[in-house]
Amino acid sequence: MKRYLETGNFAITEAAILAGCRFFAGYPITPATELAEAMSQRLPQVGGIYLQAEDECAAMHMCIGASLGGYKAMTATSGPGFILYADPYGWALGCETPLVILNSGRVGPVSGITGAPGQGEFYLTRYPTQGGNFESICLAPNSAQEVMAMTVEAFYLAERFRMPVTVLADQLITDGFEDISVPENEDEMKEMGFRVWPRKIHQGPDFYPATDEIDIPPVVLGHNTGALCSDWTPTEEGYDIEEVEAHHKHAFRLIYKVRNHRELFSHHNEKKFMGDDPDLIVVSYGTPSRVVNTAVAKAREQGLKVGALRLINLWPFPDELFNQKAKYLAVELNWDGELVREVQRAAPDDSKVHFLGTCGDLPTIADLIETCEKILKNEPLARKGWVLEAW
Amino acid sequence: MQYKSSELTSKYLRSRKIPSTACTGCGLGINHKIVVQAIAELGLEVADIVWGTSIGCAGRQTFATWKGDGFAGTHGRVYAIARGLRIALPPEKKIILTVGDGDAFAIGLNHLIHAARSNTDMTVIVNDNLGYQSTGGQYGWTTPQGSKTDSSPYGMFEQNLMSSGMDVMKILKGAGATFLARHVPMDGAWAVASVKKGIQNRGFSLIHMPFPCPTNFASRELGSRDPVNIYRWFKEHAAPLGQEKESTIWATGIWHDASNTRPEFSQLVHETVEKIRRTGSI
Ligand code: SF4
Repeated sequence: MKRYLETGNFAITEAAILAGCRFFAGYPITPATELAEAMSQRLPQVGGIYLQAEDECAAMHMCIGASLGGYKAMTATSGPGFILYADPYGWALGCETPLVILNSGRVGPVSGITGAPGQGEFYLTRYPTQGGNFESICLAPNSAQEVMAMTVEAFYLAERFRMPVTVLADQLITDGFEDISVPENEDEMKEMGFRVWPRKIHQGPDFYPATDEIDIPPVVLGHNTGALCSDWTPTEEGYDIEEVEAHHKHAFRLIYKVRNHRELFSHHNEKKFMGDDPDLIVVSYGTPSRVVNTAVAKAREQGLKVGALRLINLWPFPDELFNQKAKYLAVELNWDGELVREVQRAAPDDSKVHFLGTCGDLPTIADLIETCEKILKNEPLARKGWVLEAW
Repeated sequence: MQYKSSELTSKYLRSRKIPSTACTGCGLGINHKIVVQAIAELGLEVADIVWGTSIGCAGRQTFATWKGDGFAGTHGRVYAIARGLRIALPPEKKIILTVGDGDAFAIGLNHLIHAARSNTDMTVIVNDNLGYQSTGGQYGWTTPQGSKTDSSPYGMFEQNLMSSGMDVMKILKGAGATFLARHVPMDGAWAVASVKKGIQNRGFSLIHMPFPCPTNFASRELGSRDPVNIYRWFKEHAAPLGQEKESTIWATGIWHDASNTRPEFSQLVHETVEKIRRTGSI
């Protein structure tokens, strides 16, 4: 095990290499640029390929091409580039091509502030492409060490589910310097819970079985297996077809292969102070969860019965974690509220769900404790969650 | 070398995809045959080629026709997919892409230019049906000037990539393509020879092959779906390079042949990476 004082970008790069990634294509965008730079430095040293694309759309398509040729591939971007992945994401999803995408969130909309963190792509990671009829997988770490683990995990899941997997980080995680331990051999990787799934080659001729089965090797072109893949509705052999019934089979597979095997990754979510059925549960993901964890610990010291629920697997949304009758508070790095809507949907009908959003900056511990207090006492919030008191 | 269609079909194509669902009289089948004939004449086997297609009539009709490995990309993106795939494939494997004009010269032009710039080894066959025909017949960027289409009811009046000396071939040459040719279906063996050269170029090759679309283009512009009519019209408007007349729309033949003169993209990348791995620098 080697220890470094380094950025999340460093951690992601080392993680990708440990997971077997040997192809990265990207397009410069703050704050994901440093990751591309790190990849351009490190990948050639291990025989891997770094390519700079003409735009984000091309970057992800290049990854698709490399993945189709048998490489484990990755791309990284920020929100304004992530939206340009919509087109290739759909292709990779429909053709069941493994791929890892890192999105380092910054405050928006559009270009916003390039150097401030944001959480505006919560729903975009659920619906990153058009057409519907699919499920997505998104993991959201909250530290440099964890983004390393989640990057390795994303490659593992991408292979087993043969689909793109998104790691949703933010600017604070990718750019911030932290203490990072990097495993140096397989034993150390295992010790740290890193799982690696080798790339296998689909021998065809069937493109997919019409079941929710996973662990079917992805299509790899160039081995003359007669493998086919396209953006059209496929038959089970990969031919294009315009029949609703065939599409039902395809969509069923895209949705249920993920939903029915989510136990493979749903254990990542983190519960703190949840053992005594707290009256208020603070829900968050990514960097804000670090402040939430501290704030909840302090609130506990003050005698408030508060728990913290941190989501790491954002999609499929872990509905099962919201079966407790309690008050909920969703804390997010945006002012419009995205996670909160999903909590509202998942929480028991008579649970009150509150929202605390910040924009471009983390919430303060004092703010969080005060909000918890007021919610527990049924007092009006100083800032009413969805509404700002002054412009 | 002459092959019978049936020999080509049984050796290289998937029987369940033949005949294609193209309209009666469509010229796409002739283009398709020209490409397969070129492959056969080069002595290539099914295993030697990964065949990519895109959307529209060209994509839909040529996807999964090849007996070997194949894929279809979305609108205009297939060149970026092919660049990633090129990196992963052994150098001796050929990538052949059969795409449409909207795909190559509009939505995918940026990706196409970067494939040319980087001299990525692929042979792009642009099957140009003179517009967007699978969506019903709108004008495109190589639609002959003045043509009446569903979206140019008064005649296509914009300047496009085939008018006033602004030929798309010049853009691609400037972008770094190492082999460029244009042919119409009636060029027959001449077109086959150009496609062969394109495949033999270890770098970016593009063969622009306009073809008759009787269903949409001809019915709007020429007022007739009779294939004979549009084939005759095609013949009148094509001439070998250097023999162009006033009425010539398509100057045919080899536009640019710098085959095997520049480093091929994937080879350059792999060699450079190998050197960095060994020595730490380039
Ligand atoms: S619409 Fe035109 S180009 Fe398309 S298949 Fe029919 S005839 Fe051919």
